[in-house]
Amino acid sequence: MSEEKVVAVIMVGGPTKGTRFRPLSFNTPKPLIPLAGQPMIHHPISACKKIPNLAQIFLIGFYEEREFALYVSSISNELRIPVRYLKEDKPHGSAGALYYFRDRIMEEKPSHVFLLNCDVCCSFPLQHILDAHRRYGGIGTMLVIKVSAEAASQFGELIADPETKELLHYTEKPETFVSDLINCGVYVFTSDIFKAIEGVYNQMRETCEFSSLMAYLKRIALFFFDFILNLAASNYNHFQYATRSVPADFVRLDQDILSPLAGKKQLYTYENKDFWEQIKTPGKSLKCSDMYLSQFRETSPHLLASGDGTNKKPMIVGDVYIHPSVKLHPTAKIGPNVSISANVRVGPGVRLINCIILDDVEIKDNAVVINSIIGWKSSIGRWSRVQASGDDNERLGITILGEAVTVEDEVAVIGSIVLQNKTLNASVQDDIIL
Amino acid sequence: MKALILVGGFGTRLRPLTLSLPKPLVDFANKPMILHQIEALKAVGVDEVVLTVNYQAEVMLNFLKDVEAKLEIKITCSRETEPMGTAGPLALARDKLVDGSGEPFFVLNSDVISEYPFKEMIEFHKAHGGEASIMVTKVDEPSKYGVVVMEETTGKVEKFVEKPKLYVGNKINAGIYLLNPSVVDKIELRPTSIKKETFPKIAAAQVLYAMVLPGFWMDIGQPRDYITGLRLYLDSLRKKCPAKLTTGPDIVGNVLVDETAKIGEGCLIGPDVAIGPGCVVESGVRLSRCTVMRGARIKKHACISSSIIGWHSTVGQWARIENMTILGEDVHVRDEIYSNGGVVLPHKEIKSNILMPGIVM
Repeated sequence: MSEEKVVAVIMVGGPTKGTRFRPLSFNTPKPLIPLAGQPMIHHPISACKKIPNLAQIFLIGFYEEREFALYVSSISNELRIPVRYLKEDKPHGSAGALYYFRDRIMEEKPSHVFLLNCDVCCSFPLQHILDAHRRYGGIGTMLVIKVSAEAASQFGELIADPETKELLHYTEKPETFVSDLINCGVYVFTSDIFKAIEGVYNQMRETCEFSSLMAYLKRIALFFFDFILNLAASNYNHFQYATRSVPADFVRLDQDILSPLAGKKQLYTYENKDFWEQIKTPGKSLKCSDMYLSQFRETSPHLLASGDGTNKKPMIVGDVYIHPSVKLHPTAKIGPNVSISANVRVGPGVRLINCIILDDVEIKDNAVVINSIIGWKSSIGRWSRVQASGDDNERLGITILGEAVTVEDEVAVIGSIVLQNKTLNASVQDDIIL
Repeated sequence: MKALILVGGFGTRLRPLTLSLPKPLVDFANKPMILHQIEALKAVGVDEVVLTVNYQAEVMLNFLKDVEAKLEIKITCSRETEPMGTAGPLALARDKLVDGSGEPFFVLNSDVISEYPFKEMIEFHKAHGGEASIMVTKVDEPSKYGVVVMEETTGKVEKFVEKPKLYVGNKINAGIYLLNPSVVDKIELRPTSIKKETFPKIAAAQVLYAMVLPGFWMDIGQPRDYITGLRLYLDSLRKKCPAKLTTGPDIVGNVLVDETAKIGEGCLIGPDVAIGPGCVVESGVRLSRCTVMRGARIKKHACISSSIIGWHSTVGQWARIENMTILGEDVHVRDEIYSNGGVVLPHKEIKSNILMPGIVM
């Protein structure tokens, strides 16, 4: 039992998804955008590393390989575990992708495979999920959490047996209320999952072939019909009748695997007692960064900064992460809930509250940043003020400056989003600046 | 003869189009903006063009290789390692521009569209014998720009006034200059601005002359002016070379359609429309005062006015697109959608109406 190996698969998505993460995602893939001082994907990866007998970690997505090459080699070195990026040639759906790469994933003959979504923020209690899974004896166990009834409709809602914890019913983003228990996007499976996916593939292929054939016959019939009626017409529209065929190799985990297997004593649930959030927008990433920072307070307090304004160290309030290379003037006051990435320079008298400051930013004297994300290489002028309401549900509730934005001295940027490479020489409010 | 085209910048005012291509390569009247200028320069005998580029130089260079071959003109890029203002690039490009022949060289602002009367400018320059010539154009609201105050008869420039509060004149700097090599010696190699430092010095020395630009002028660096500029350009094309415009039963006013574009039946196209290569306009479509860029598809019964449809985008059936809607590259507007001034970033799908002008990111 203790010789059994385990692998983890993390789905990272691709560039055409996630336009919601603009403007930060213009030059950086979403999984590499920092939260709490580390790239988004680092948090699930660190959680996986805590599992004994973890043999490999696979990242699956359809970004170009070169976007992940640097990160993957450096994290493999750091963790001393092979971390590989596998690029899908086209989207297969999360179950489809798992199946597509099954040979790589099963290389080391792991007894269990963890599947995680990269844009999930939580405590990742993977060992607890694995232990529970072994007790249940199914082919898979998923992390679930209770949320408010209104929030539930944005996710996959499910019903679980209160005693056996079996997954009885699953439905994705239902219009009417089904349950306040939702799918967290963290799973563990035995290798039987591949057989289950294969079963679904075969079924889909049969349906697809049939509907493709029908569509093809329909097109031929219409072609001749039109040809006879409109001999001289050069109307090309008839050749474009929508076939609406199901793509034969797109298999979603939720709708195509979990839903049909529910109630068949195959899938089980483990209820999350901790925090959970989906990182869908930059505003949410600020909230998630805060959640990770408070988690650090419990699990790795040495990562957090401290100081009281004496001994040449600035005043630190609450949970704050500061990269070791940051130059911070002792008269600055930082926190709560601030992450400062590498090579940032913070000048005298600066006040930072609830914000993420990305690499190479310069914040000049007496500037104030509240409820905002400041993009790489930006420059915040003296006495300038960058702030927002802090409500991550509002469209402009968090101010976001893209890469290399310059805010000139004394300018205020309130509740706005500014695209990369802009210089603001006049104050703006409630605006998107292209 | 040689020429310098000031490119620089990120083109942020022309976003979302400039999120896909650097501004000089954004199409205007079915041709990359900078090609209009390069062709006009070639026509007066310029054999070498230097571009000052500090953003996406590789993308520019790839495009320019083709142009070099086709037009038989030498094109080089001069890269600013840090932003140097507008006169810095001049000094930096000194080696390329000053070849010892003593001939003057052109300097152009890349955002400017006009008839490029370069031949007339050369004659004007020779006639007055001064070191520098500048084109000026008459505008209705001079206080939005930099006004050039000049002696009406000789054109000798007295001074420049930036955004004057009181009326001092109605001629503004059109961004087209013809300079003697000796001017380059007067510029130090540090961040400077042609408008703020170099030209005032030259004007003070009484060697700068201004010529009023014949024909139209437009700074097409932002979408509203781009659309107005197209109207002026097509108007000018009607006067100079009407054969280039498209005619037909479905065409009204000045319309330019690339030969590889397809137009369906029962359409009404125009006035002031440009339709780029590979575009498909299905039947029953109404287009007015708009640009449809390469590879875009406009589906049946749609109605588009005063807007720009970006490369490879689609506009759905019965969609209504108007009032300065700008669709970036690869934007897909669903059937029956209404967009009133939507500015849509690349790779988006529009599934619900945009009732008031706004940005869709």
